[in-house]
Amino acid sequence: MVAFCRLPGFLSLLLVLHWKPGAGNPLLITPDKATCITRHPCPSNLMTQIRSQLMQLNSSANTLFILYYKAQGEPFPRRLDKLCGPNVTDFPPFHADGTEKDKLVELYRIVAYLGASLGNITRDQKALNPKAQDLHSKLNATADTLRGLLSNVLCHLCNKYHVGHVDVSYGPDTSGKEAFQKKKLGCQMLGKYKQVIVELAQAF
Amino acid sequence: MAASALCQSVFLLVSLLLGTCQLKGLSEPLSVSPGSLKFAIDSTYQSFSLLWSVHGLLDHQEIQMNFQIQISRINKSNAIWKGDYITTVKSNAPVHWSWESELPLECATHFVRIRSHVDDARFPQLRSWSKWTAWKEIRVLNPLSPGKNFSLFPKDNLVEAGSNMTVCYVSRSNGSEIDCFLENERIHGEALTPHVTAFILINVPFLRPTGMNMHCRENSTNELKDGLVIYVSKMLEDPKNFSCETQDLKTVNCTWDPVAVTAPVKLHPSNKVQPPESYALHESFSQETKVCEHNTWCTWQVAEDSQDGYNFTLQIQNIFRKRSVNLAFNLTHRVHPRPPFNFFLENMNSTSALVSWKVQPLRKSSTFLCQVECLHDEHVMEQVNISVGMHGECLLSGLEPDTQYLARVRCAYGNHLWKWSDWVGQRFTTLDVAPSAPDVWRTVDSVPGGYNVTLHWKLPPKDRAWRKVLFYNITVENLDEASTPNLLSVPPTLRDAAVTLGSSTHRISVTATSRGGTSPASAVVIAGGSADDEEVEEKRVMGTADGVFLSWKPRSGDAEGYVVEWYEQALGPLHGLQWKKLGPKSTHTVISPDAFRPGIRYNFRIYELSTKLMASLLEKKTGYYQELVPLVNPQVTVDQLNAHSFTLSWKDYSTESQHGFIRGYYVYLKSKMQHCAQVDKRVTLPDNSSYCKYEINDPEQKTFMAEHLQPKSTYEFFVTAFTSAGKGPNGTFTEITTADEYDQMLLRVLLPMGFCVTLIMVIFYMKIQWMKRHCYPDIPDPYKSSILSLIKSKSSNLTILSPQDCTPDAIEVVDRLEGSKTQPTQKSDTKMELPLSASPQPFAFADQNPSDGRACICFENLTYNQQVPDPCSCDHSPVPPTTPPHHLGLFSSLENIWKDYMTSLDEVPAGETGVNYVSQLTSPVSGGKDSLPTDPLVAAQCSEYKIQMVVPLGAPLSPHTEDCSLCPSAP
Repeated sequence: MVAFCRLPGFLSLLLVLHWKPGAGNPLLITPDKATCITRHPCPSNLMTQIRSQLMQLNSSANTLFILYYKAQGEPFPRRLDKLCGPNVTDFPPFHADGTEKDKLVELYRIVAYLGASLGNITRDQKALNPKAQDLHSKLNATADTLRGLLSNVLCHLCNKYHVGHVDVSYGPDTSGKEAFQKKKLGCQMLGKYKQVIVELAQAF
Repeated sequence: MAASALCQSVFLLVSLLLGTCQLKGLSEPLSVSPGSLKFAIDSTYQSFSLLWSVHGLLDHQEIQMNFQIQISRINKSNAIWKGDYITTVKSNAPVHWSWESELPLECATHFVRIRSHVDDARFPQLRSWSKWTAWKEIRVLNPLSPGKNFSLFPKDNLVEAGSNMTVCYVSRSNGSEIDCFLENERIHGEALTPHVTAFILINVPFLRPTGMNMHCRENSTNELKDGLVIYVSKMLEDPKNFSCETQDLKTVNCTWDPVAVTAPVKLHPSNKVQPPESYALHESFSQETKVCEHNTWCTWQVAEDSQDGYNFTLQIQNIFRKRSVNLAFNLTHRVHPRPPFNFFLENMNSTSALVSWKVQPLRKSSTFLCQVECLHDEHVMEQVNISVGMHGECLLSGLEPDTQYLARVRCAYGNHLWKWSDWVGQRFTTLDVAPSAPDVWRTVDSVPGGYNVTLHWKLPPKDRAWRKVLFYNITVENLDEASTPNLLSVPPTLRDAAVTLGSSTHRISVTATSRGGTSPASAVVIAGGSADDEEVEEKRVMGTADGVFLSWKPRSGDAEGYVVEWYEQALGPLHGLQWKKLGPKSTHTVISPDAFRPGIRYNFRIYELSTKLMASLLEKKTGYYQELVPLVNPQVTVDQLNAHSFTLSWKDYSTESQHGFIRGYYVYLKSKMQHCAQVDKRVTLPDNSSYCKYEINDPEQKTFMAEHLQPKSTYEFFVTAFTSAGKGPNGTFTEITTADEYDQMLLRVLLPMGFCVTLIMVIFYMKIQWMKRHCYPDIPDPYKSSILSLIKSKSSNLTILSPQDCTPDAIEVVDRLEGSKTQPTQKSDTKMELPLSASPQPFAFADQNPSDGRACICFENLTYNQQVPDPCSCDHSPVPPTTPPHHLGLFSSLENIWKDYMTSLDEVPAGETGVNYVSQLTSPVSGGKDSLPTDPLVAAQCSEYKIQMVVPLGAPLSPHTEDCSLCPSAP
């Protein structure tokens, strides 16, 4: 909840992001065997779906990244290392050698973080590059998949590990920043996303 | 930041109000000067506002003052701008003035001071300048955000393409080298202070609506320091295609082409969205202005009973410039009516439909001009213009049954036609009816026992109902015999059918059936013996630009009509037969060019139809609508090549399968060495060479003889056919060389000679027996010899000894010595030796051994040596010539003959010279020398016929013959 209050500008975004079962509030880790109720029944093959969604995100992450930096104009395509390096300091950590439960919790945090960041990026790009329809479509599709993944992870945590709440954090708000900073922060975020999604897909 | 600016402004106002209270109660200001200078910075637009009060004014006093403002940058002594500001000052109102800096205010501190003088005629004594105010320092507080060491300014600025702008950066550190790039191009700046560097961008280009990126990075580490986006707006241009119109005389709609030059930009740091352009419509007569919400159109409400004349000005404005365009018009001349409504199709049948519609009224007396169209397959079939009030209707007639049409209508304001309304229409299909009677024709071929009839039919051109024909019915009736008609149903896709008929007269009817019913029948009658292959002379016909003209002479006076049929000769009548039926009075017709293709030969047949619908052939014609040049040239062969001529032949060239009637041939002949000798045939080429061109005007003459040529010369020839359209395709000349004259002559001599020699040899071979018998017989017959004439000529008293005249077989048998048997077998391979003297041996009666009473006496004629058939063997022993006198003459003659003969032998080849001829001996007992008897008792049979022998002339003549091996040899 602390993280939620830290960025009140994201309220509407988070509400949209969490409309699926269990959505509405950032989740805290509840004690094991605590009561965990989801709004909709969870499907049985959740891990399969989670893996499939991770694979899907992994396969499209690079395309999204390329679409993004090409739409920003020079010098982004030529200065990827400086402008689009995965320098996101507050990105949630992930430990691939942890238990499945821990990995799922960390996955939840990362997906929530990415979903919020992707919302910011989509909003900024609609203003900065209103005619980049391919980029907008790819951003929207990725955000949709992230929402589905978040819901499935929550279901699995709730069903199997009885985790109903996970504390999450979000990236910086870019709405007040100038255009170049918006472009740069978005590019860095997508670079980080491209990097981390590989690790996630392999971990599950 | 906005809140602080507001607080500053309020404070400024309060201070100024307090200051102005000092001048109350005075009728004339003693001294007037600016003071209480305040400022406010607007970073969004890189400007600052100044607010100051004027000291020394009386209450409610208003005077015009001139303020001189001086601005310095970085330090007070660096004045960068100085200007006057003339305004009317009220006693209690502060003076407001703003200034826009080309350099971002974050990058440099500015200093401002003001002085003034009264610019009012009422107070001439106050015209002197006041003292300058103290310098007011204007700077942006904390241009670098906390935690940032470097920043570029201005952020997210919007400039016009082609303008200049200044960008600067502020860095906390001094000493690090910073490189800055616009997109990817490095730009060079000017260091204003150790911490500030400015970049002047000259003639900023428009790259994309989303702006240009500029960024700076540290030279040593390549670390990105900061970046910004520069939004560039295209230069605003005059709006194009500005037009206004009304649909109802109540609202004016004005449109123009979009002039969007940039996307809305959210400016930093205010986040104020800078709209690209604003649009406004101003009407000069009414002096009204309306702000337009859309960037391509705007509406204007017409007031009731207002004027018809309007003068609109469209104004477009962005933050950089304004543009406008003007349009004046009379509203009633700009009426673009709304589309008609209540459109209906009524009373529709197979050929007509009634269209009705309504129009939205404009004014009471207004009329509309409406246009009604009827379309079929996107082609306008009918178009009607009607003037209507509110309601209109139109009857569409002449439609085809069972056909889909589109009826539509549009209207224009009738008082002044300007624009048509949009179309309003509806598709409909007319009712179906029975098809028209098909047009039927036939081709007839005789076959044993009847005819093969191929029926062809088509529907009349105007009757397009054939598209909906379900099937065709063919009925065959025998008119000579009472029988049930045969019925044949044919699918609608077919246009012909074959029927086999007997030799009777038949009537064939064809009907077409559609959903609307069955058409009337169309019939032809096939009379017995009416095959089309009647003997009529075929004539030629030529087409013209109008088509092919055909004429004929009626055969009978009561013809029902005439039929002209034609088809491509190469395809025959069964493929693509076309026909045209004509009335009974017709004697000619012209078939339009649409039916023909150039270069194709067509056969035409003209039939006369009797009243019983029987057709009889009148004319046969063949020809081309348009002749083309021959397709191919003849394949020419060369015959009869000699020294002075040769013959060209192209007998295989077909004159019937060309693209026109072959009128003849051109033969081109040229010599490599000479010009064409025949002046009238000469055709000169550009290179001054020439060739002979011969024209053959008989298409059946397919040979040409080139004469009067030079021996052993090379000629080139080329043969091409020609039609009325011209000659055939260009081809290559074929080279030919005439024969040598001497070779020819040699052939003329040698060939007959060889032939004669061969003939003689053949004759000689065939008559060799005859020759042998007459010229060199094996047994010469003295009576047949030419010697006789010689003898007679030389000595008339000489006679020929007849063998019968002597008695050669008078043989005396004598004893033989034993010793004579010592060489009994000396024979055979040893050649018969003859005496060198070839003279015949005289007859001798001598005893070789007188002591031996057994001597054998032989009479031997050496010419005709005849051995006695006595068992006693004979021997030719050399006997001294004891010639009886009565034999001498004969012998001498014989000797001469022998010599003559030998002389003739001398003419034989050398290898055979030196041989002599030994005459045969006849013997009643024949026997080969190889089967010589060893028994002495058989010796009596040794007399035999001696074969001819050839002996060398030099060899001695043996006195005996070895054939007689058993005969006693001479010692």
